[in-house]
Amino acid sequence: MSTADDLRVFYEAILFIAERPLTSVELAELAAVPQVDAETALANLAQELANDRRGLRLQRMDDTWQLATAPEVGERLAAYAARQEGRLTPAALEALAVIAYRQPCTRGEVDRMRGVDSDYVLRSLLHRRLVVEVGRRDTPGRPILYGTTFTFLERFGLTSLDDLPPIEEVAAPTLPAAAEPEPVDAG
Amino acid sequence: MALEPIAIAEAPSAALRVGSEAPADPGFEVQLPVFSGPLAVLLHLIESRQLDVLTVPLAELADAYVVHLASNPVDPGQLAEFVAVAAQLILLKSRSLLPGEVVPAMAEPTDEPDEEELRRRLLEYRALRDVARALGELDLAAPMQRREPRESDRPAASVAPLPAALLAEVMRALAATPEPEAAAPEIMAREITIGMQIAVLRAALAAGGRVVLQQLLATCHSRAEATVTLLAALELVRRRQVRVQQRQLFGPIVLEAMA
Repeated sequence: MSTADDLRVFYEAILFIAERPLTSVELAELAAVPQVDAETALANLAQELANDRRGLRLQRMDDTWQLATAPEVGERLAAYAARQEGRLTPAALEALAVIAYRQPCTRGEVDRMRGVDSDYVLRSLLHRRLVVEVGRRDTPGRPILYGTTFTFLERFGLTSLDDLPPIEEVAAPTLPAAAEPEPVDAG
Repeated sequence: MALEPIAIAEAPSAALRVGSEAPADPGFEVQLPVFSGPLAVLLHLIESRQLDVLTVPLAELADAYVVHLASNPVDPGQLAEFVAVAAQLILLKSRSLLPGEVVPAMAEPTDEPDEEELRRRLLEYRALRDVARALGELDLAAPMQRREPRESDRPAASVAPLPAALLAEVMRALAATPEPEAAAPEIMAREITIGMQIAVLRAALAAGGRVVLQQLLATCHSRAEATVTLLAALELVRRRQVRVQQRQLFGPIVLEAMA
């Protein structure tokens, strides 16, 4: 694995056979290259797959990578993949949006922004593996922190969280929310 | 040929539907907006009146909100949040009704809701609602698929190869194990029936015509056999096939075949 091209080819192949998303660290170790080189090669691979309109795309979440099919053929593939799920309800979408844009965040934050208890919708999001527990916040009650998953990216045809639709930041200037005490999350 | 009557049968029924003026257009249905929370309701009330969230006095919406709450059933589990916002609005309204009162600036933060706080939450919620709608547009519109793990992808429990010598060792250990002892033969209870002993008695009687019972009992191997033999003798007496004689107490009991 000397040249950058070789590295890119190797990563495309190994991500094709990988049964789970791989981290930058793992990918660097597998090719015995510095992590910086690995990430450069991966970024180039992602670029190439998108620019050449190939059937696969490289998805990234934090420092984890996986190959997935191109979103433009997703609908036609759905029949083969036999994933016929219903659309999410407006309530589920709201809760998911809070988590997607504010992650990692607690159920309390979801409740507060929506102005309504979100226990049930959050559970359904967890069940669909669209969100997942990513840790606990170091505040009283140690509330659970939630974040989105690769399943979330796949479902919405996003290659990374950077592809999320832009949010209107009207609330930002008048937002003392961060200073508010965190309500104890029983869940 | 079979298709024709079906086609004919269908036509009038379609005509009937049109004629009866039932739900005229099946594509038309009334869709009540589903509100996922009190902020959603409040925002709907503002926007349906084409008011500006930034400037509308929220107190004026108290009545509309309460009317909406009364006429639209709310999931009991979520009712508390709806009622909380209603209380907040009514408080704002009651304050605005008091003439000439200057609302004192609150020195310390309290739990008491104020209009700005509610307005800020509304604005925050509006941004959230809009972005949730944008996400909803993307939902399943162009999904990406990944290869699901296959059975062969599952890592084996042990990755280190086992030495083949281990097999030979196991075989040696098996050979050293002594053969299990043969199970003890099963003991079956010897069953003696009255019928069997009747046959014995008859055989003895056939030889000489009379038999001394005590002699016969002396040949028995067990108390059970002797008992059954005695019962067999009594059975033959009952059937009047033998006659029994005993001349003295504890003397020989003689069985004699009856003609």
